[in-house]
Amino acid sequence: MDIRHPIESPTVTEQNPEPQADPRTGLGDPRPMVSVAGEPEAKPAKRSREVGNVALQGLSAYYGSNHAVRGVSLAFDSAKVTAIIGPSGCGKSTMVRCINRMHEEIASARSEGKVLLDGLDLYDPRIDIVAVRRSVGMVFQKPNPFPTMSVIDNVTAGLRLTGASRGELEDRGREALVGAGLWEEVKDRLKGPGVGLSGGQQQRLCIARALAVDPEVLLMDEPCSALDPVATLRIEELIAELKQRVTILIVTHNMQQAARVADTTVFMLDGELVEVGPTDKLFTNPDDDRTEQYVTGKFG
Amino acid sequence: MAPETRTQYQEDLEALEASALGGLDLVSAALGRTMEAVEHQDVELAQLVIADDDRIDGRYLEVHQALITLLATQSPVATDLRLISALLHVLKNVERMGDQCVNICKVIPLTGNEPPADEEMVRLILAMGKQTRTLISQSKRAFEDRNVEMARDLVRQDDVVDNLNRECFGLALEIGDDPDRREWAMTMLLAARAIERIGDNAVDIGEQVAFVVTGLFREFEDASHPSA
Repeated sequence: MDIRHPIESPTVTEQNPEPQADPRTGLGDPRPMVSVAGEPEAKPAKRSREVGNVALQGLSAYYGSNHAVRGVSLAFDSAKVTAIIGPSGCGKSTMVRCINRMHEEIASARSEGKVLLDGLDLYDPRIDIVAVRRSVGMVFQKPNPFPTMSVIDNVTAGLRLTGASRGELEDRGREALVGAGLWEEVKDRLKGPGVGLSGGQQQRLCIARALAVDPEVLLMDEPCSALDPVATLRIEELIAELKQRVTILIVTHNMQQAARVADTTVFMLDGELVEVGPTDKLFTNPDDDRTEQYVTGKFG
Repeated sequence: MAPETRTQYQEDLEALEASALGGLDLVSAALGRTMEAVEHQDVELAQLVIADDDRIDGRYLEVHQALITLLATQSPVATDLRLISALLHVLKNVERMGDQCVNICKVIPLTGNEPPADEEMVRLILAMGKQTRTLISQSKRAFEDRNVEMARDLVRQDDVVDNLNRECFGLALEIGDDPDRREWAMTMLLAARAIERIGDNAVDIGEQVAFVVTGLFREFEDASHPSA
C-alpha cells in the first residue's frame, strides 16, 4: 500500500478521491491489492498482497514531560499475532497508538524515532496520515460503533470516504462482516442501529469496520476487556482466523488471553521493552527476572 | 514496582511444596522400617509398613488435588508452572517409592520364620537400603535448595546402589543347590530390585530439580542409550 503523498502528483486524500490515483495500490507488488471502484475482481488481488510488516526503531513517546515509551526497537512478525503485556502505565497502549499515529492526536503528546510499515517510515512528513490509519486499523477497549448509524453503515463508514461505489460498499461491507464472524447474526438487521447489537457483537462490528478498508495491520487495545467469556472467545477465535491476512498487535491485561492468542509476546515495564519472545517460552521460562515476576503475578 | 501481590497463592504453593517433599520423609521412614523388617524377619513390622502406606498414598492424593486446584484457579506460569509440574512428578515418585517398600514387605513372610539367610546378602541389602535413604534425603534437599549440582550427584550416589544390587545378584547365583536357600535368595533379589528402583525414583526427582531451575528437561542418564 502506498501511503505517501505523491510529491509531484496531486495529493490524494479523502476529500479528493481519484480512482486512477488510489492510494491503496500495492507498493512493491505489481498487482493491485484492490482494484479501483467498480471492478469486480478485487478479491483475488487482495489475498495475494503482502501482510503488513511493522517495525519500531528507537521509538519514544511523550505526554508533555512524561516519557511514556523509552526508545523501543522491535520488529513485529508479519501475519502473526503479537501480544503486548505489562502493568498499567507501562506504555504498551501508547506504543501501539504510535503505530497508527493516534498518539499525536492528544494535546502535548509527541514521539520520536521511526515506525516502519513495509519499510516506509510512517512519520515521514510526506506520509498521508489518513492512509496510515487505513493501513493500520484499530479496535478499542470499548466497542464504539457510530451511534447514529445502521449496522451496515458502520461497517462501510471508512470505505465511503474512499469514494467506493454503492455496489462495492455492499460487497465489501458483507465481506467484512463475514470476516468478522458477524454476518450470520446481523444479515437480517443490516439497516438496524449498530448500537442495538450486544457488546460482543458491537466489538465484532468494530472489527468488521476496521477490516472493511483492508488494513495490513490491526491494532487491538484491550479488545475483550468489556466482554463476557463467550464473547471474548468469539473474538479470540476471530483473531486466529484473521492473522492469515493481517498482522495483529493486541494489548491486553489478561495474560491468559495473551497466552492463548499470541504467537509472540512482548513484555514492557516503565516504558521500556523488557523481553520479547515466543509466547510459550515467555510463559514457561522467561529470560528476564522482571518478566518472571510479572507473569507470575508477583507485582503488577 | 508495585508491592508484592498474590501472597496467599505464594504461601499456598510453598506449603504444597513442603507437603509434597514431606512425602519423601514418609518414604525414608518406611524404607527404614522395611530394612529393619528384612534384617529381623519381622513380619509384624512389615505389616505395619504395608498398612502405613495409606498415609503416603493419602499425601499423594491430597497434594495432587490441591495442585490441580491451583492450576485451575491461579493460572500459574513460568517458575510457578514448572514447580507445579515438577511437584506432580515428585508426588508420583513418592507414591511409587512407597509402593516399592510395600512390595518388599509383602515378600518377607514368604521367607518363613527362620529362613536360610545368607549373612552377606542381608548385609548387602541393608547397605542398599541405607544408601537409598541417603539418596532420598539428598533428593529432597536438592529440591528444597534448587541445587542442580546436588541433584546431578544423585546419579553417582545411585551407582553405589546399582553396584550393590549387582553384587546381590552374583551372590544369589552362587547360593548353592539347597532349594530353600535358593528360594530365599530369589525373594531377596526381589527386595534388592525394589530398593534399586527407589534409588532410580530419587534420581528422577533430581531431574525435576534441574527442570525447575533451568526450564529444560533432560534425563541425567539415558537408560536406553547408556553411551549418550
